[in-house]
Amino acid sequence: MKRQADLAITAAVAVLACAAAALGAPVAVTAVLGIALLVAPGYLLGQLLFGSRIADLERVAVVTGLALCVPILAGLLLYAFGLPLHRAAWLGLLAGATLIGDLALLLRRRGGPATPLSWHRAAGRLPVPHVVAFGAAVVIVVCAVGLARVGAAIQHYPGFTQLWLAHPNENADTADLGVGNHEGKTMRYRLVLKRNGRTAATWNLTLANGQTWQRSPAYSGGIAAYLYTLPDLAQPYRYVAINGNGAPGS
Amino acid sequence: MTVADTPLSWHRATTDTRGRHEAITVSRLPVSVIAVSAAMGVLIVAAAYTAGRLGAASSAWADRTYWLGQAFIVVPIAVRLLGRRALTSGETVTLITVLTVAEYLVIVCYSPTGFTFVDELEHWRGTVDILQTGKLFTVNYMLPISPDYPGLEEVTSALASITGLSIFTAGLIVAGVAHLLFVWVLYVLFREFSGSYRVAGVAVLCYATNVHFASFDSMFVYQTLALPFFGLTLLATWRLPALEAPGQRVGWLTVAVLAIAATVVTHHVTSYVLAATLFVISLAELLMRGWRTAAWAAVLALLSAVAAAGWLVFAAPGTWAYLQPFAAGTLDSLRAFFAGGHASAPPSADPLGNQVLAAGAVLIMAVLLPVGWWQVWRRYRNQPWVVVAAIVSVSWYVIVAIRFTVADGSELAGRASTFTYVPAALIDALALVHLVGVAVHRRVRSMAVPVLVGVLMLMFDGLANGWPPFWERLPGPYQVAGSERSVGPEEIVAARWTLSALGPGNRFATDLGSFSVLGSYGYQNPLQDVAYLYTSPTFTAQAQAQGLRYIWVDQRLSQSLPASGQYFTDDPNAGKYTRPLPEADLQKFNQSAGLARIYDSGNIVIYELAEP
Repeated sequence: MKRQADLAITAAVAVLACAAAALGAPVAVTAVLGIALLVAPGYLLGQLLFGSRIADLERVAVVTGLALCVPILAGLLLYAFGLPLHRAAWLGLLAGATLIGDLALLLRRRGGPATPLSWHRAAGRLPVPHVVAFGAAVVIVVCAVGLARVGAAIQHYPGFTQLWLAHPNENADTADLGVGNHEGKTMRYRLVLKRNGRTAATWNLTLANGQTWQRSPAYSGGIAAYLYTLPDLAQPYRYVAINGNGAPGS
Repeated sequence: MTVADTPLSWHRATTDTRGRHEAITVSRLPVSVIAVSAAMGVLIVAAAYTAGRLGAASSAWADRTYWLGQAFIVVPIAVRLLGRRALTSGETVTLITVLTVAEYLVIVCYSPTGFTFVDELEHWRGTVDILQTGKLFTVNYMLPISPDYPGLEEVTSALASITGLSIFTAGLIVAGVAHLLFVWVLYVLFREFSGSYRVAGVAVLCYATNVHFASFDSMFVYQTLALPFFGLTLLATWRLPALEAPGQRVGWLTVAVLAIAATVVTHHVTSYVLAATLFVISLAELLMRGWRTAAWAAVLALLSAVAAAGWLVFAAPGTWAYLQPFAAGTLDSLRAFFAGGHASAPPSADPLGNQVLAAGAVLIMAVLLPVGWWQVWRRYRNQPWVVVAAIVSVSWYVIVAIRFTVADGSELAGRASTFTYVPAALIDALALVHLVGVAVHRRVRSMAVPVLVGVLMLMFDGLANGWPPFWERLPGPYQVAGSERSVGPEEIVAARWTLSALGPGNRFATDLGSFSVLGSYGYQNPLQDVAYLYTSPTFTAQAQAQGLRYIWVDQRLSQSLPASGQYFTDDPNAGKYTRPLPEADLQKFNQSAGLARIYDSGNIVIYELAEP
């Protein structure tokens, strides 16, 4: 049974990865199973082709290379047969390849020559101080990436407000008018819509950071929108205009 | 020749003048301590990056902190690989792995929450398309050729699909694994060619001095994934002739065929270089009467060439149109150069330190290669692969000539270095190991130090003159017409708005800094030849002739000089700007007839052109 442990593990990975996807398991679970599932066909293919006849680093390289080849080439084949490359297709492809590889390897081993994975320990067990040092190195790089992520998260960017007035579909009767607040704080605005220079509508808006406001006013020639930040109504903060010169003061 | 039984290993001869063996077997610098040092280096670099983000991007101390972190990574590894202390095979592999992983993590720390580099954004867009549509070969406006070579996007979308990870995380895993795999395969190849894992380790160290090692060869771009397949094919070609058992031959032949196929559908240039490399190996083996290897190499070369040509004709016919202008421009420049004409590289705008490093590195490489050739002649002249490496390493001199004499030569030189450094690194390593060996044998320690300094100079040249460039060494606030630092929230939000409000694929005019954001997050079609729109005082009807629908105007173009030296992707005034663009040239769109001002976020304004 010990001889076939790798086959049992890869088969279990294939089944569990599909089950986890079907049950909507958390990403922490699907990530581990998914990575294992991506590697499994490459490992099995490596076992079928070489058994344990190649040395450790070379074996890792070949297995990894084969694991990367499988989705590239089999994905092309799936697509050529008209299957869309969504999650179900990838899961089916990789789990199917894994189970077929398991079966082929099982038959091969019963027949004799192929041997299961065995990693040679050339230098014996690593001394404890070195294990501690390597562990410390891993902890430090995790902290480094964490520090970089925190730095990116707290990086200050100037805030901004979006104003848009678009009419991308020329057959539509309405235009798209919208305001988006990305100032980093709640903002109070006054939005003025003008048609041919005359005020057609006015809105007072209070938008939280990240909030947007949208309307679909009737589309006609010469419409413009002016956005003010309250209480300053002297100069528009943003302005947009379609079919006419909407520049402030004009 | 067996591994670690190299004539170039200086440990076998470290017997002192009285016939006693020197105690050199145990190093005082264990590999585990070097791993901690490299991790500390990554942490120090991350601290420098954080300082840059918090407002110190232009400060000298933040810059020095970055280089201190790099020294923590690079120096101990170089010292250990080139030192006179014994080094096991496992330690050598660990050292090159630590170097590769540490430098990769430095890249990750630069953009830890999402891709920001233009080429990465192009492939991110392609992966999004596959995930959303389930289709291959969809349109990519920024890099139209990339959907024809979907290998990277396939693996990444497969990993993202089955794990639930984001495309960014899945992409980092795929690119990181591919990069490390390429380094491992290179190590195995160098070890097999030289018969020494010490030489192999030093050769990988030398390869890591190429300017693209820590950037384009490890980023989320299609070449990163194609390179390990390239290496695996060479490894299979090396193994095949030596095997007697048919079973093993089938194994390596299968690896070769799959790796060739994966290379061909992943990256165009790598597949052509692979075919050419196999042809050269076949020819060399033929000349040196290595019939079996010649035959295997010829078969695989033919297979590579047929596969690459078949893919080019039937699946990726746009490849020639994509590569042709680049090739033609280079040939024209070279022709003018050899004819004594006018082509020349523009004067470098790099800091003096970078230029000194570059010149020093060229000098060191130029000296090392002949020493390496001499070693090849002395010890490896019956080894066809090493002889091929020695001959092909001459291409390094050609690349240097192009870099310093041809307009746009630095980009070509950089791209070519990924491949030219493979043979050059092996030859350099033979030279370096010989020089250090001589120093140890003759007890001339003063000779070993310059060798180490020279290697470190090569390493720091690769880092300083690679990517990111000096003007974006540290992440920080927005820069006009930059690269990663031109990708910020306002640009991303505006680009996403274009996709949701205007739909995909609209022909846009934009500046260099917003080009990648608009093409990726916005999924728009930004054109390159649009500088005239922004640099003339009046709006011209030429925009209509180009089929433009929208003009993206970043008001900051009139506030700062371009960080990269050019405001636009195709900029006739690149490197010549002495003051920012006139504000009036950007404001003219407000008064131009036939333009609608449809979006305004303060810095970014978008205009729509009336349909013709």
